[in-house]
Amino acid sequence: MDLALQIVTSGLLTGGIYALLAVGLTLIFGVLRVVNFAHGEFMMLGMYGAYWMWALWDIDPYLSVFVVVPAIFALGLLVDRLIIRRTIGAPEVTVVFATLGLSIFLQNAALTVWSADTRSVTTGYTGTAFTLGEVRASVPLVVSFGVALVLALALWAFLNNTRFGKAIQAVAQNRDAAALMGINVQRVYMMTYAIAVAGAGAMGAIAAPVFSVVPRVGLSFVITAFVIVVLGGLGSVPGAVIAALLIGVVQSVVGFMIGAAWAEIAYFAVFMAVLVLRPQGLFGRRGAEVYQGA
Amino acid sequence: MATDKQSSAAVTATAAAGGGSQGEPSRRPRIPRIVGLLAALAALLVFPWMLPSGYWVDLAVQVLIWGALASAWNIAAGYAGGLSLGHAAFLGVGAYTSTLLFLELGISPWLGMLAGAAFAGLLGLLLGALTFRLRGPFFVLATLAFGVVVNILAVNLRGITRGAAGLVVPFDGGWENMLFASLEAYWYVGLALVALVVGTTLWIERSRFGYYLVAIREDEDAARSIGVRVVRWKLVAASLSAALTALAGTVYAQFVQYIDPSSTTRFELSVQIALIAIVGGMGTAWGPLLGAIIVIPLGEILRAEVGGGPALMVYGFLLVVIVLAAPRGALPGLRALLRWIGRRGAGG
Repeated sequence: MDLALQIVTSGLLTGGIYALLAVGLTLIFGVLRVVNFAHGEFMMLGMYGAYWMWALWDIDPYLSVFVVVPAIFALGLLVDRLIIRRTIGAPEVTVVFATLGLSIFLQNAALTVWSADTRSVTTGYTGTAFTLGEVRASVPLVVSFGVALVLALALWAFLNNTRFGKAIQAVAQNRDAAALMGINVQRVYMMTYAIAVAGAGAMGAIAAPVFSVVPRVGLSFVITAFVIVVLGGLGSVPGAVIAALLIGVVQSVVGFMIGAAWAEIAYFAVFMAVLVLRPQGLFGRRGAEVYQGA
Repeated sequence: MATDKQSSAAVTATAAAGGGSQGEPSRRPRIPRIVGLLAALAALLVFPWMLPSGYWVDLAVQVLIWGALASAWNIAAGYAGGLSLGHAAFLGVGAYTSTLLFLELGISPWLGMLAGAAFAGLLGLLLGALTFRLRGPFFVLATLAFGVVVNILAVNLRGITRGAAGLVVPFDGGWENMLFASLEAYWYVGLALVALVVGTTLWIERSRFGYYLVAIREDEDAARSIGVRVVRWKLVAASLSAALTALAGTVYAQFVQYIDPSSTTRFELSVQIALIAIVGGMGTAWGPLLGAIIVIPLGEILRAEVGGGPALMVYGFLLVVIVLAAPRGALPGLRALLRWIGRRGAGG
């Protein structure tokens, strides 16, 4: 029983960290109808940002968020200007492969600059754990979980309670009608992309005390994030959070019972089943899966 | 019968149009087509012997294998509109099936490649049956997931694939095992492979099947409404594409004589297959081969000159620029250039 509780707890904690990545991915898809293959690379850049600030100036990774987020936000604005803007309404091959090309570019830029070495952040609290009854949870994992969830919820609150957040939702529902209501759609696209990738960067920074950094780290995370956002319903922010927790638990439980590789197979099986049987996801609006490309 | 006549008339019309679009002036005596073809064939046959060293022959064979892979992808993606990011799975199935049959049962890879193609064809059919309803990014993500699952299986089904240790193809030389001491021999195998895949594509282009596929790609609902059996033709294209990819997988395994999950089923390979076809020109018969002629030597030169990381940075950059600036790839541009040269030649 305690063991089961332990496994579920660590699954939930890891899932919470995934949530922050998945929320941005689902937001970009919901609003821009672009699958951002480069999302994991923004997370990777956030991780390196936190790592280097820790390695060079001994800055705590959780504090580095305050530098990483504005930096990745600015990078997001630049990427929107150079690439994303030009893919809106373009042929499908452009929409898919432009961000994929960006992902290859960023990944190998990191490889070129920082080499393929695995780097990890070690702080005073590395290796320490909270204990509640029989359940132990590592301190960095719990803190990262907390920060990730707070940021994801803050994003959700921003979407629901601010004027600009509502403009973003309006564009997600119907870009033409939103434009007719006087919403600057181009600006909404730009800000959405930058906010979402800044979220990925923040996730990278707060994940730095938990996971090691390599240039390829984004790929495995983004593939997991795709599974999460499809499961939660592409475009649905609360769906992404719930699905992230679910995937974290699946990963942890199956990983413990039969092995980590089979955990991946298990959630891909879920992924395929959802795509085939319920493409709108568990929490998505019906019809949201109908792709309105061009 | 009537349909046969119609389609053959269409073929003649296409051939005539193709001949006309070369822009050859009528004043100049036309070289008979057959002579040109024979000259091209002779040039291809002696080509590897003209190259300065084995390094270049090796590179040329890689161009052919990647050209075949990208052409096979193109049948599903360029004609039927199913942008797959999981095609490395079929490459892996082809490579592993023929290699395991050879290692465990001593079955010649010539036969093994057919088994691999049949297996991949069935998998392609299965994947197609699961995904034919999905559109846009959902289809892409489903194929990506399929590719990742095959990669994980290749690493973890150690009892069958020997996992990350990989499989060494024992050098039991001789043409009957598709193992050759000379690199040049692989050039001919590669040529035959490319001829098969590009030939299939050319046939598709001229066939009723090809028109169905293009109709589906352009507007699936419209195609359905005029009576095109959308699901059937999508599945045929997916299966054919997977089978041809597996054939190239076997040739790849015989050529490098060592396979492991990373060199045959990695996600990046699926991306590279697509990248090559896109650079050359999706939805054209010769585009993917042109893409391989551009991308493979470029990658090789960059790797040698600036290293692997920067080489892949250029790949990424190239992919972004091509899909943004010229989503139809290099082939239309090359065609325009050749026509322009043809006109200049006629004028001067």
